[in-house]
Amino acid sequence: MSWARRALAVAWKDLAVERRSKETLNALVFFSLLLLFVFQFTLGSDRERLAAVLPGVLWLGFVLSALLALGRTFLVEREHDCWEGLLLAPGDKSAIYLGKLVGNLALMLLVETLVLALFIVFFDIDLGRAMPGLLVVMLLGTLGLAAVGTLFAAMTANVRARELLFPVLLLPVQVPVLLATVKATEGLLLGEPLAAVAHWVKLLVAADTVYVIVSLLTFDVVLEG
Amino acid sequence: MVRTLGWLTAVGLLVGLVMAFGVAPREVTQGNVQRIMYVHVPLILASYVAFGVLALASIVYLVRRDAAADRVAHASGEVGVLFVGLGIATGSIWGKPTWGTWWTWDARLTSVAILFVMYLGYLLLRGSIDDPERAARYSAVLGIVAALDIPLVHFSVYWWRTLHQPPSLMKPGGFTGSTSILWPLLVNLLAFMLLYAYFVARRVRVLRAEAEAAA
Amino acid sequence: MIADNWGFVAAAYGLTALVLLLYWRRLAKRERELEALNQQPHAPRR
Repeated sequence: MSWARRALAVAWKDLAVERRSKETLNALVFFSLLLLFVFQFTLGSDRERLAAVLPGVLWLGFVLSALLALGRTFLVEREHDCWEGLLLAPGDKSAIYLGKLVGNLALMLLVETLVLALFIVFFDIDLGRAMPGLLVVMLLGTLGLAAVGTLFAAMTANVRARELLFPVLLLPVQVPVLLATVKATEGLLLGEPLAAVAHWVKLLVAADTVYVIVSLLTFDVVLEG
Repeated sequence: MVRTLGWLTAVGLLVGLVMAFGVAPREVTQGNVQRIMYVHVPLILASYVAFGVLALASIVYLVRRDAAADRVAHASGEVGVLFVGLGIATGSIWGKPTWGTWWTWDARLTSVAILFVMYLGYLLLRGSIDDPERAARYSAVLGIVAALDIPLVHFSVYWWRTLHQPPSLMKPGGFTGSTSILWPLLVNLLAFMLLYAYFVARRVRVLRAEAEAAA
Repeated sequence: MIADNWGFVAAAYGLTALVLLLYWRRLAKRERELEALNQQPHAPRR
């Protein structure tokens, strides 16, 4: 089986499992709704304050959902004793990484779109011209989170205090992505064109490239045992 | 060998201390509190060296699977976190009387704080894995990811603090570079580099002994 | 005349000295423990 087809098979399997059980999706949806309510209670009344903190709050919601989704990405393998199966898989293990990455990306983007839609509706936000630029930033930012997140999820899958260690490892490393996405979103929501936040977008592209390449190269090492 | 290094370090630190208080002048704008610089700056710079060595040792380990490289990476990480933590603390103590605040989110402080948390995570990862071979492998991967992340952190934080924002308060580091300030600084820098090397050498020795004991 | 804030200087130098000393002592102690451990004959492996 070719490398690309193996990757696709992993992604397809994960998404099929998710579609049937909807465990992670349900958890993420409920979590997003909860975030929405909390933000409404604390910020909803003051329109100006809300507009000022919206980019940060939005990405906080995305990141927390990402932690939830990525933290569970190897849960199925762990719980059903399939971890050895991963280790024994023939050929380049990086195909597994790509498959997991694609699956995580799909799930995370789905939830982010949902959260964004909820925010627009419940906080009566007009995205207007910001939309295409915002989608680019969301895509790049989510790829950054998922790229390193999938690698670290594999690394922490079988260690003590996994639930605590995973975010502790991921978040400091992801600061460039968090800064870039929030500042770019801020600019876009203020009506600036995508060109005005180009440096942040370029940083995201650079970061994503580094993260994906390094993860592809080192995933084999992580799955050695 | 290590003993000689230890003695050299002790001498270096002593000379550095004497120079920091005897040779270095009383600073014009800040007063004597500026003398904190002679431990703060060497600690931070030595920690950068530590993290650089960690990155190199991680690569060497992944390529050659040499346990010695893993021990160097481990020891370097430990000393690096120790030094950068102390660097942040001394910087904060220096900042309180000069800036009026224990902390500020300017570019340099923010970057160093992120560095501290990242490599603290490195040590936590090592502590969470019982199997030494797996710990070595995973730590090496994390060490490489962290090292590659450093320029990204630097730029993102720098842009965050400088674009559309006027440069913030004067850092306590400003000085004209007269020799009576430069020499104490250089001596202390050398002393702390020696201290880093000495600590790493002894920590590696302990790690090797621990590996033998477990064998 | 600007205040000298010697208290802060003492705090910075004192903290540094203390922490470094404690780390050094921990290394020395661990070395002694391991030396004693490794000098005992190993239990036969099987």
